[in-house]
Amino acid sequence: MGVPAFFRWLSRKYPSIIVHCVEEKGRECNGVRIPVDTTKPNPNEVEFDNLYLDMNGIIHPCTHPEDKPAPKNEDEMMVAIFEYIDRLFNIVRPRRVLYMAIDGVAPRAKMNQQRSRRFRASKEGVELTDEKHRIREEIIQRGGYLPPEEIKERFDSNCITPGTEFMDNLAHCLRYYVAERLSNDPGWKNVVVFLSDASVPGEGEHKIMDFIRRQRAQPNHDPNTHHCLCGADADLIMLGLATHEPNFTIIREEFKPNKPRPCSLCGQTGHEMKDCQGVAREKQGQHDEFADTMPVSEQEFIFIRLCVLREYLERELTMASLPFAFDFERSVDDWVFMCFFVGNDFLPHLPSLEIREGAIDRLVNIYKDVVHKTGGYLTQNGYVNLERVEMIMQAVGVAEDNIFKKRKEDEENFRRRNKEKRKRMKAEQQGPSYLTTGQFAPQALGRRDVPEPIQNPRYQAYDMRMNPREQNNKNAAQSLKAMMRNEGGTSSGSSESQDRRAPKRKAEDSDSDPEPEDNVRLWEEGWKQRYYKNKFDVDVTDSDFRKKVVQSYVEGLCWVLRYYYQGCASWKWYFPFHYAPFASDFKDIKGMFTEFEKDTKPFKPLEQLMSVFPAASGNFLPTTWRDLMVSPESSIIDFYPDDFAIDLNGKKYAWQGVALLPFVDERRLRAALAEVYPDLTPEEVRRNSLGSDVLFVGKSHLLFDFIHELYREECNKGTAVPPELCFGIQGLLNLDESPVLPDKPVKSPIPTLRDISQSTAVSIKFKDPEYADGHVFKAVLLSGAKIPTKVLKPGDWERGNRGQWRPQLGFNPNRQQAHLDQSGFRALGHSLNRNQHSGGQYSNTPPPGNYHQGSYRPQHSGGHRGFQHSRPNPQLGASQPFQQPQFPRQQQYGGGGDGDGGGGHGWNRVVQSQPLAYQQNRDHGGPRQDGYQQQYEYRRDDWQDRRGDRRGNRGQQGYGSSRSYPPPPPSRRYNWN
Amino acid sequence: MSSADVEDFIQQNRGEAERVETFRGYWESWKHWEARREFILRNMSDFENGQMDHLLSLSMVWANNVFLGCRYSSDLLEKVKAMAEGIAVEDAPVFKTRDEIIKNQQGR
Repeated sequence: MGVPAFFRWLSRKYPSIIVHCVEEKGRECNGVRIPVDTTKPNPNEVEFDNLYLDMNGIIHPCTHPEDKPAPKNEDEMMVAIFEYIDRLFNIVRPRRVLYMAIDGVAPRAKMNQQRSRRFRASKEGVELTDEKHRIREEIIQRGGYLPPEEIKERFDSNCITPGTEFMDNLAHCLRYYVAERLSNDPGWKNVVVFLSDASVPGEGEHKIMDFIRRQRAQPNHDPNTHHCLCGADADLIMLGLATHEPNFTIIREEFKPNKPRPCSLCGQTGHEMKDCQGVAREKQGQHDEFADTMPVSEQEFIFIRLCVLREYLERELTMASLPFAFDFERSVDDWVFMCFFVGNDFLPHLPSLEIREGAIDRLVNIYKDVVHKTGGYLTQNGYVNLERVEMIMQAVGVAEDNIFKKRKEDEENFRRRNKEKRKRMKAEQQGPSYLTTGQFAPQALGRRDVPEPIQNPRYQAYDMRMNPREQNNKNAAQSLKAMMRNEGGTSSGSSESQDRRAPKRKAEDSDSDPEPEDNVRLWEEGWKQRYYKNKFDVDVTDSDFRKKVVQSYVEGLCWVLRYYYQGCASWKWYFPFHYAPFASDFKDIKGMFTEFEKDTKPFKPLEQLMSVFPAASGNFLPTTWRDLMVSPESSIIDFYPDDFAIDLNGKKYAWQGVALLPFVDERRLRAALAEVYPDLTPEEVRRNSLGSDVLFVGKSHLLFDFIHELYREECNKGTAVPPELCFGIQGLLNLDESPVLPDKPVKSPIPTLRDISQSTAVSIKFKDPEYADGHVFKAVLLSGAKIPTKVLKPGDWERGNRGQWRPQLGFNPNRQQAHLDQSGFRALGHSLNRNQHSGGQYSNTPPPGNYHQGSYRPQHSGGHRGFQHSRPNPQLGASQPFQQPQFPRQQQYGGGGDGDGGGGHGWNRVVQSQPLAYQQNRDHGGPRQDGYQQQYEYRRDDWQDRRGDRRGNRGQQGYGSSRSYPPPPPSRRYNWN
Repeated sequence: MSSADVEDFIQQNRGEAERVETFRGYWESWKHWEARREFILRNMSDFENGQMDHLLSLSMVWANNVFLGCRYSSDLLEKVKAMAEGIAVEDAPVFKTRDEIIKNQQGR
């Protein structure tokens, strides 16, 4: 779903759905890389059965990465993709199925979006190259230094579209990859691999859903299969919920905001390309490159546990005293449906619903209000009850006016605050315009050296009066000198660069974010009229037209939901407008939709290329086809404008706006292509044909002999997979024309990788189980499905008098917590406190740059902030938390904050000077905590911050100078088990 | 051919007019379609039956330019503008193309 905000919103509202991945890294020994043994138990303390890869989420970052230099050629890209899959395989360690799905031809409904993305990408690519070239020239003229430009062709990311040679080549490489791993990697040996390449129609994630749906509807499916789906799109979360499989986890790259990107000219971080000065990197000490970098440069992965999301949703959606029985599964489907209003790939979102403005919460509230009146759920198995949807829409419609007004208010407030902030920052930077100097110079409070008594104040005052002028004179002289130097022409470069910068800074100052032009003014009376006039160029009184838009939107909602729950209902349907109607326009929608056209067929790959590419990407098409995109005589030339309007629609940047591209007329497209079809070469004909999913297994898999036998017998008809040989998976097998066969060599398509001389894998075409026309896949939990143990804290936990609640941080509810014994603490304390024997109170200040701003507190108050390591002790009863020794820590004060820093210097200093100072927190194990803080930076244990308690400790707990380790603890507290 | 002529033509050539009506895009408002229909009817005589799609394409080029803000090559635009000479479009919307927006943002 093209809604990046959705995931952010979700993970903030429901934080426990996220679990950080534990990744075991390969080691190197004497220059030999030792791969990770993935047959070992998963270090995440959970075992996954199936791993599904939405490959497009992998292909894009591997071919044109944003945070590192781009690969030089296609071979490097392929290798990058292989490594990425290896990484995922190592983290997830699927035991049964690896399913790789590359986007094939998409339904027509998606094409509008694809078209707009590709038209933009093509323009952005050209602009970037031009800009790069221009800046490069400029820098080199100024005598700057830039690493030589690598000779490589610009990678047009548009080639990641089904039907191109690149995609064909990718499929080929992946077959090699799978054969290689199945033959050589022990972790793969019992895994069935499915490869659904770009020649199989359907978007990657929906091909995966189809697979899951069709497997779980047949009797041999294991209802407790643990699925893991990889991909960053927010709609995967919806899709996962829509399956109603209890064990469903999504894995994606962790989103780190403001990650520094290297400048694409000089490769250094710290500035953007447009500010590149072409200066060689200055070395500021050995290993200075590590100084400002995050310790982890590699992108990390997170799991999103849908079963936890289901727990949250259950809490939120459960309604008492309903006129009908509450069914949580049905309410989840309704929730998914309502999320579509806020945004999806197939429909523009309603103007009044912005995810950032809490649109989903608003919808849920309305839903809970209205459901009493509707008398039932909005959806069932992916079919929509329009009458009930209308009630929801009308309720949103009532609020619309206020939403728009509030939005305007918020925007203005935001802008005002920003302006004030900028002003404040500027004032802070400048400092006071005049500072007294000399004896009168300001003195910091609390320093040890007390200012001397003032001597000869009159002279000093005179001095101060005269000095500033002197300073000015000096400045003037300096700048004159500099000017003369520059006229000599030797260092004109630097002055030019200064000149260039000067007006720019000015521009920045005056830049008070010019408001984007907005003719619709949704917050003002008459908004509806203006909206229809500006966006559709129709009068608001034209109710026929308005009805048309609403009807299309209603069809769209039905199509999208069906797409998620039953598969693609129509390959032809699409939303033929650029904007959505208002919620209040949804009137009398009950009869607006009946059924979709049956038996529609997807486009062929090359046809789809013709309908989503701009003329600038025509190089991916055969010559005569390309001509149709450029020739004025072409009968489809109107599909390919050189430039198109963008409606910023209240946004600031072009990429956020709506691209006003014409829609493709399918009839005319087919008619035009009919004439050039004969020009295809046999190779192109092959690329244009529909392909099939391919199944791979290795030698030791139960299915191996069965498939091998099929090839030996040259069995020409489809054979059903015996479910007992393949974890209950069903489907039809058909012999492949160019299969991977056992004991046959597989040639490597990549020069840098070796051929497989004797592959031990076998491949065969696979078809998902077929169901009768009109079959409805049920959106229910399967019988025998076990709901995983709850993770969230029960709402009535306190009342149950069950003692302390311990949050679960991984997959394993009984995770072993790491802890140190006494000697460990001794060692730690020893190394932490070394070098801190002497010096004043500031000598303990850590080197600058070590801490993130804001969380750092100077040593004198923080050094003794004890962090306790505690866990409920099962044998002693949970109300008796077991205490480990506190130890001084220098870092990680999560919140910082309570103001006990000033007091107790003397006491602090005493302890500070003792290298082995421990505190034993004895008597404060009571339940007085001020909350949990999860310190992910360290081990992911739960540290409890007990500032309040510590304050009480002070007087009594100075085991510093007299002993170097804690006193023997009362034995009852050290019961380790 | 003025808009009155268009009405006359439609009255006189029912069959032809109905055929042309099938070319209306679902998204086209009456205002947009009326103008494009005039474009088609005016120029129909210059295109043989087999070239109908080409005429439709040119009509779309013109309509996309006027109502959607699309730009095409200048030759093509001149051609369709010549073909549309005399078609009155009241209150045509104003657009900023992507190139213009980018240029503006860079200028700042």
